[in-house]
Amino acid sequence: MPNWGMVIDLETCTGCQACTTACAMENSRLPGENWQDVLFYSEGEYPNLNISWLPRPCMQCENPSCVSVCPTRATYVDEGTGVVLVDWNKCIGCKYCMVACPYGVRFYMDEAPVVEPDVREAFPARGRRTWNPPFRMPDEYEDPSKGIGIQPSGVVSKCTFCHHKISQAPEGVADLDEDNPETREYTPACVRVCAPKARFFGDLDNPESKVNELIAEKGGVRLREETGNKPKVYYLSGGGSPVVPGSRSRRG
Amino acid sequence: MDEINTNVSRRRFLQATGVTGAAATVALTIPGTNPERGSAEAQTRRQPNTVVSKNICHQCPARCGIDVYTTDGRVHAIHGNPDHPIANGKLCPKGPLGIYILYDPDRWRGPMRRTNPQKGRDVDPGFVPISWDEALDMVADRLRNLREAGESHRFAMLSGRGWGTTDIGMMGQFGALYGTPNGNIGHSSMCSDGSMKARFFTDGNDSYNAHDYRNCNYLLMFGCGFLEAFRPYNYNMQMWGYMRGKKSPKTRVTAVDVHMNTTLAASDRALLIKPGTDGALALAIAHVILTEGLWEKSFVGDFADRINRFVTGETVTEAATPGPMEDPETGEMVTPEVEGEGFVPRWTHGLVDWWNIELKDRTPEWAAGITDIPAETIRTVALEFGSTRPAMAIFERGAHAHTNGVFNAMAIHALNGLVGAVFARGGMMYQMGPSYGPLPANLADYRDDYAENGPWRQQPRIDMQGHPDGYLLARNMQQEVGPNSLRGEPYKLDTLLFYQNNSIWTAPNGQVWEEALREIFVIDTSPFPSEAGHFADLILPDHSYLERYQDCGPMPLEGFAHAHLRVPAIDPIHDTKYFGDVLIEIGKRMGGRMAEYFEALESSENVLRHMARGFEANPGDNGVDGWDAWVEKGIWYRKPYMWQLRDGTFYEWDGIDYARPMDAEEVKQRLLRTPSGKFEFRSGRLEEHAEWIAGATGRDPATVMFPIWEEPVHPGGGDLYLSTPKVALHAEGRGSNIPMVIAHLQPTVGGRGEAFVEIHPETAAARGIRDLDMVRITSDVGSIEARCRVFAGTRPDTIVLPMEYGHWASGRWSNAVPGGHSGDCTVNQSDRVTGQCMYYSTKVRVAKA
Repeated sequence: MPNWGMVIDLETCTGCQACTTACAMENSRLPGENWQDVLFYSEGEYPNLNISWLPRPCMQCENPSCVSVCPTRATYVDEGTGVVLVDWNKCIGCKYCMVACPYGVRFYMDEAPVVEPDVREAFPARGRRTWNPPFRMPDEYEDPSKGIGIQPSGVVSKCTFCHHKISQAPEGVADLDEDNPETREYTPACVRVCAPKARFFGDLDNPESKVNELIAEKGGVRLREETGNKPKVYYLSGGGSPVVPGSRSRRG
Repeated sequence: MDEINTNVSRRRFLQATGVTGAAATVALTIPGTNPERGSAEAQTRRQPNTVVSKNICHQCPARCGIDVYTTDGRVHAIHGNPDHPIANGKLCPKGPLGIYILYDPDRWRGPMRRTNPQKGRDVDPGFVPISWDEALDMVADRLRNLREAGESHRFAMLSGRGWGTTDIGMMGQFGALYGTPNGNIGHSSMCSDGSMKARFFTDGNDSYNAHDYRNCNYLLMFGCGFLEAFRPYNYNMQMWGYMRGKKSPKTRVTAVDVHMNTTLAASDRALLIKPGTDGALALAIAHVILTEGLWEKSFVGDFADRINRFVTGETVTEAATPGPMEDPETGEMVTPEVEGEGFVPRWTHGLVDWWNIELKDRTPEWAAGITDIPAETIRTVALEFGSTRPAMAIFERGAHAHTNGVFNAMAIHALNGLVGAVFARGGMMYQMGPSYGPLPANLADYRDDYAENGPWRQQPRIDMQGHPDGYLLARNMQQEVGPNSLRGEPYKLDTLLFYQNNSIWTAPNGQVWEEALREIFVIDTSPFPSEAGHFADLILPDHSYLERYQDCGPMPLEGFAHAHLRVPAIDPIHDTKYFGDVLIEIGKRMGGRMAEYFEALESSENVLRHMARGFEANPGDNGVDGWDAWVEKGIWYRKPYMWQLRDGTFYEWDGIDYARPMDAEEVKQRLLRTPSGKFEFRSGRLEEHAEWIAGATGRDPATVMFPIWEEPVHPGGGDLYLSTPKVALHAEGRGSNIPMVIAHLQPTVGGRGEAFVEIHPETAAARGIRDLDMVRITSDVGSIEARCRVFAGTRPDTIVLPMEYGHWASGRWSNAVPGGHSGDCTVNQSDRVTGQCMYYSTKVRVAKA
């Protein structure tokens, strides 16, 4: 059983937001519902100022605080993939998980839309779905019990590591690499699109996976280790401009 | 298919057009749209109904190959084509959003004509649907009448993002058969002609560069937004990941711009330069390269005695080069060794004159006073750039869309001459073209007497391109079309067709175009509503790019030849027609030889099939040897690039390596296509026109041929420079109406939902402006509002507002975005030499709104 994890190399990440848009189209997300967001920071004064950025998917914690606070057990760790999912049949939209999550990667979209006019009005709801764009994912991929597809109203949504893709991957592969034709279709959308190849996805339990190689060779770090959440997303910052804000703020 | 036409009930009309239900089967029957092998098997196992078709992204000119995933008749995913040498399976942030363009609920449903003779921003055009036959007859009748009256020159077609033979190529053919000098007025002058012309004047190639980033060790970037706007963006980021992640040694990068952006932030060194002064920086770098003896001697040449005499403030001499003479002993003709202390040029022309007239005093200390960049920093950059090989200086509009732009750009490109980057490994080169087959008919055989000798022959182009009273050396002058027609100089247009073009909005000071288009019969061919469409008398809507066959010629990449094809993923959703076929169908209705020509072409697909025959004799590296394979792969390409400069010798590829040395004449014909056949620091082409330039611009005819420093002029009447950059998510022509783009446009200043104007904290405080206040930006030509982000990364003398929003007729989302359009307060000012529209020369006043 794979233990999927992600490595994001901040040395080569260009802050282009393709991960954000690819995720949104793959998973039929609303504008601003950025399961895979990129956060931007600026420090300093003209003429010596820098911008840095941090791509932020769900960390898919081994020890997720969102799961422990959920009163209906709607949020859970999927056994087959190790991914944290939301069962929309059980979620009551109480948002406890959004408060508990140290990384801010959960979304509740039943409030004012980020972009007016509301895109949901242009593609009006049908059945359970809160909107119904023609470009939504194929019906067979949707699974409300895993929080995949277009959500009903009143629930929380989050990154699934593209569960509908990775869960179909051939057994025993160490990495889901978009450059390998055998694994391309099972690679999460944010990894597959990434032009500078700043993202890697693989089995953290397989010592020979590329993700483990990178974590070891380039000193992969996890965000907010002090929470004990044990994220499965690792960041590399090999001296390039973008750095992990956590380590930088400790220094300053 | 309710999900496709979800807002139909709210439209005034709907022409149901046979999409319903059929799309899935149609998609499956498109010939040869098999996905690439591994993916195909994987995909089919999961989703037997999914069809992957090949296409080319339409959101910038880069030509990224895309795989379009259609399941049960719905397009639901766009991925990079993994077998495409630009996309390599990847996409930029715009690429996946293309589906929004296909399913844009604001798209035109079919052809329409205007019923309200009044035109204006707030005037309802009163469009009513008509049939394609009615619409095409209406155009043909109008054009025939114009021709019979001997006024065919008063018909013009303007293009924006053109792609190849069956669209802008067809416009040119139509114009040549019809008889108008205005068959295809491109938008290049509103894009980056200043960059192409700078290359034309120095290395003889009227083109953008292709680049060998993979082998480059130093990149010096001037105002080009490499990680935002520079093309091909997706490929640039792939190269960035390689140059900065895997490559040994890691490519070092210095980036120059007027505000902090992701490109500058990701580079090793960011230089925030005073707008319009990039040329001064480049001249100082050149000065240091020469005084420090760092120029590439095998390319540039050297002093005869190899002692460097480039000393600040001192002139040098060129060596007298003796001609070949007979060896008295052997009787052979030999070229004697040059003696003395003069400079002996090799593949360059005019370095000594450039030094003596301009460079000798252009020290870092001099440039520091002009650019705001410390002299020591300039010196450091120059030493790095001059001592690292291969190195390249790249630039675009940020550096040259100023009144002194031609000189800024020439000075920057001259750096590539000094370090021998042109045609070198790890340097830059020019794009080779594909080997298409001939069209179904030969145009020259079909031109009637009117087309050959009609009165239109006496008329200049409406934009005065190529005319001594206008822009003698320019490629296009689209920004002049509206104003010229309004003034009636050289004449008033009667009929104007827009293709992928919205110059009423994109041209600076577009307010003038609104006046001009009131008195012109306007035909718009965009699939979408736009400001041009709002002023149109006839709407002939195109397919979206995911619904049409279309060829895309090459844009510069790595130099090797490539040719791309769009293949429809689904049948057209609406009652639309591919623009190439619109022209062919109008042509068939024109009568005479012109109609016979277009009858012979038959259709755009027939033209494409004839073009693909050229691949039979010259199959691509991916096995594409004709139409079916082109449809299957979406691209034909053949590597390698054919030429390389190495250690002062140009070599041609001999089938195994760059090994066949080229002589000077071959280099002049194919590579350094200047009058001298050398890289010209003293431009022969500008020298040839020195008197005209002096007369038109008041410049000194003795120095206009050199990359010189000229103080920029800033109209507009304000005190702050206005910079209006292109951002990463700017999807040409349609990004403004994509909700996902609006949500992410300007991330570096936390921008979501609108375009923000970046203002330095001191500049804002001095005007009582706080973060997120609405501000009023005013110049002599207009005034707009925008929301302020106080941002310490923008120069205190500059404000930055991305050119994106302020639309008033482009669809529900773009119309709803608050804030005005930067073009409304940008002065329309063009470079008389290059024709470049100087988008960044305006100065504005800013106050709290």
